[in-house]
Amino acid sequence: MEMTGRPWQSRRADSKHRRAWYVVAGAVLCLFSTTARAQLTIEVIGGGADQVPITVLPLADEEKFQQRISQIVSADLVRSGRFKVQDIGSVRPLPSEPTEVNYRYWKNRGTQTLVIGKVIQRDDGKVEVRFRMMDTSKEAQAVGYAYTIVVPQMRAIAHKIADTIYEKLTGEPGVFSTRIAYVARFPQRFELHVADADGFNSQFILAHREPIISPAWSPDGTRIAYVSFEQGRSIVFIHNLVDGTRRILASYDGINSAPAWSPDGKRLALALSKDGVSQIYVIDADGNGLVRLTNSNAIDTEASFSPDGKYILFTSDRGGSPQIYRMSASGANVERMTFDGGYNVTPRYSPDGKAFAYIQRNQGRYTLALMDLTTRQSVILSDSSLDGSPAFAPNGRLILYASIVGGHGILAAVSSDGRIKQKISASALDVREPAWGPLVGNR
Amino acid sequence: MNRILIAVCAALLVAGCGSKGGTSQQSKAAVESRDLFQQKDQQAADEAAKQAKVQQEQEQLKQQMEEQKRRQAEEARKAAEAEKPVIKPLTDTAMTEKSLSDPASMLKDAASPLSKRSIYYDFDAYNIKAEFQTLVEAHGKFLLEHKDFKVRIEGSCDERGSREYNLALGQRRADSVKKALTLLGVPAKNIQTVSYGSEKPKALGHDEEGWAENRRSDIVYPGIDAPR
Repeated sequence: MEMTGRPWQSRRADSKHRRAWYVVAGAVLCLFSTTARAQLTIEVIGGGADQVPITVLPLADEEKFQQRISQIVSADLVRSGRFKVQDIGSVRPLPSEPTEVNYRYWKNRGTQTLVIGKVIQRDDGKVEVRFRMMDTSKEAQAVGYAYTIVVPQMRAIAHKIADTIYEKLTGEPGVFSTRIAYVARFPQRFELHVADADGFNSQFILAHREPIISPAWSPDGTRIAYVSFEQGRSIVFIHNLVDGTRRILASYDGINSAPAWSPDGKRLALALSKDGVSQIYVIDADGNGLVRLTNSNAIDTEASFSPDGKYILFTSDRGGSPQIYRMSASGANVERMTFDGGYNVTPRYSPDGKAFAYIQRNQGRYTLALMDLTTRQSVILSDSSLDGSPAFAPNGRLILYASIVGGHGILAAVSSDGRIKQKISASALDVREPAWGPLVGNR
Repeated sequence: MNRILIAVCAALLVAGCGSKGGTSQQSKAAVESRDLFQQKDQQAADEAAKQAKVQQEQEQLKQQMEEQKRRQAEEARKAAEAEKPVIKPLTDTAMTEKSLSDPASMLKDAASPLSKRSIYYDFDAYNIKAEFQTLVEAHGKFLLEHKDFKVRIEGSCDERGSREYNLALGQRRADSVKKALTLLGVPAKNIQTVSYGSEKPKALGHDEEGWAENRRSDIVYPGIDAPR
């Protein structure tokens, strides 16, 4: 299995992309590389029940490379909260092939699943990574792959291995190979960053002294729509991550806000105030075919398409306070969804379409909540007081959101059952506006 | 390429620091030598200063006496004048005041309501409270009388809740001020609006004091007010 790197992920292609970007946009104020800035640090706070025990042994010869695959895989699995990663025991030498596994020893230690493998430096400069997941009770391989990569792809392949393990043991896709976007605020500038889901390889795609908000990934992961104030007011851009070019999607009079992609990636919902108060419109991704969807004399904003594309959730204060409503994708059959409390905003459909995350004010605190669309019951998932901008992981297991802790903006994540919590901090004044990219690539 | 640049910058920095150090040492030496010279002539200088002081005191006394004489003469003249009627041409005082002060300084006059530019709101509200009517009316009157002046209304919100909702709310705040001004007769084309939502907070505190400051519309006169 050959791994092809996305151009902006490899370092060489990255610098090329950035140069192109300066020419195209010319809005970047600082020309120094920021790969080391705003690097995210993820700390797992809670732990899930029913964690799957697993032992990930160091792959033979992995220590010859800077990025150690078994460590990256273990960190991914721990961070998901769904695995109990056990120590590697005392048997030496460590097995790297199925024939070398002493099943008796591992079974006696209570190890059900054992990950082994090796890393081979080839003469042509490429690297072969072999990994196998062994079922110790069946004394057989559960899954195994060999990947031929170049050294800069080492982290990417480790995430891919973690995804394979996750999917084999939970039956759901892993999200370790996905990417996230977020905004980092520094004293005199804002940066829109794209990073791996574990916070590594963060790099900015846009930097400006004026604010950047509302990043939204296209369903194919190649573009990000966002709102930038670089022209003194809110304007919606679509930024191509592959070639670094971008263009204006909406710069009408008044606000241009809250871009949300339709599931097929062909259209976006927007909030525009060009006809008076903020209303919801849809527009083709190429900027044509603007259609107004709502007709209220109240604020309508923050559209979120259902995964099947049939519905749109949105925020409106048409009832006197901001609440969440649902309508058909053509703007018909508006139905109020939230009734508890005087402030419910920022609805985001879950990837399976069965629930939505939102921000609820509760006794003066703004917390993350999740409503089950079948029962219409809500649970509160966060315990701080200024939370916002929820973003589902593409497998629906985690919700990333913005919070303020100790006066600084941080990102946090919570499992949709509320059991696992993560705190994600960075070396910026604030990190905010998280958006989780889709599952993409040759999975 | 980058590395060469950094090396050059570093070299310049080091060179800069070196020369600075040299200059301050030299000036210190100069100060010390001056101190020694002054000590030597101290006694002579003290003597001269004493004499000068006595002379100065005598001068002052003389001046005070002359001043007193002059004031008495002035008072006598005024008392004589008070007997005569005063005849002055009648002028329109309002017209006189306006021609005396240019519009830009009217906007900056701290005693005028025009110097106040901010309208504050309750949470999640965009209606102009009664206490800000005078301010809005003053600007409306000014803009009516100075049709060559344009304003930009900037709407802002506190950080709580949703950034996107706040962006829409900030626009509503700015629009409500625009509407009030147009109702006073100000041409709509002279009023621009923009919403910063909760993205450009003036107060940075995550508390009620900071939030109250940030729930605001600012009336900005481009060219007169500094851009935010």
